[in-house]
Amino acid sequence: MTEQLHYEDVDPGDAVAPLTVTVDETQLFFFSAATYNGHRIHYDKEWARDVEGYDNVLVHGPLQAALLSRALTDWIGGDGRLVAFAVQNRAIAYPGQALTFGGVVTGKTDEGGLVELDIFCRRGDDVLMPGAATVALPRRGTP
Amino acid sequence: MKSPDSLVDPESAAKIGSVVATAAGEVNRRDWQRWAAAVGDHNPLWFDPDFARAHGYRDVICPPLFLQYAILGVSPLGALRADGSSGAVSGSMAFPRAPRRMAGGESTTFHLPAYHRDEIEMVRTVDAIVEKEGRSGRFVLVTWRSEYRNQDRDLIAEATTSMIARP
Repeated sequence: MTEQLHYEDVDPGDAVAPLTVTVDETQLFFFSAATYNGHRIHYDKEWARDVEGYDNVLVHGPLQAALLSRALTDWIGGDGRLVAFAVQNRAIAYPGQALTFGGVVTGKTDEGGLVELDIFCRRGDDVLMPGAATVALPRRGTP
Repeated sequence: MKSPDSLVDPESAAKIGSVVATAAGEVNRRDWQRWAAAVGDHNPLWFDPDFARAHGYRDVICPPLFLQYAILGVSPLGALRADGSSGAVSGSMAFPRAPRRMAGGESTTFHLPAYHRDEIEMVRTVDAIVEKEGRSGRFVLVTWRSEYRNQDRDLIAEATTSMIARP
């Protein structure tokens, strides 16, 4: 966030600077701890496989959401504000998979300097987590 | 609910519209910074008071998506479900006929920032419990509405969250 993004800088179709992260099991553990989440599917491989039927432990849906909000709040800078954020868990992700977080501007509202976006977490071409967000961006020449 | 083979047991169905959880907790800077570190989110608004003040805040602010964790309580190990989860997040709803659970989605509107040591109270109501047919079979979609207010009763955030439960 070296240079502040302004309302005038963005137009429908513009992309959020994408973020690509490959989550590993250490990160899963720390996210479970930081969110007081004891669900075994994030750390107990045998449970994940034998009881819940997955191939491995899973990346938390809320971690995907948090990485997506990180991409957004990095993009809007210190004078931008996250106003609304909505996501759906559509598909699971495993550790070791490269996930890309980003979004596309879909609309603008002069009142309040609001910018609407479609946002996503993707693995290759698969959208694992679609969503929508609203951010407020500062105007040029205003403090 | 209507059909006897519904995944939704009558006890769970009866909770629609009612307050299923209230929780309160203090927003803690170290806790949100640990969360941000676990996300790899090094935004200076969460970490650097001078940066935050230069951008109109009175101090570092809580990352918006962390607010939901500030009100989590304490779960004795003996009270956990077999899958290790506490039920604290969902308002203690378990579906005996659909025990495999995963987070569905979340939709939140953020009104005001939260600061270190803010006392947040959350009130959560069950909005809907719907049985659906998906690509991998039947599931239950549960939707909750939550309001987060601070010690001055200011509305900080309003959230709709959902959970998917599968047989």
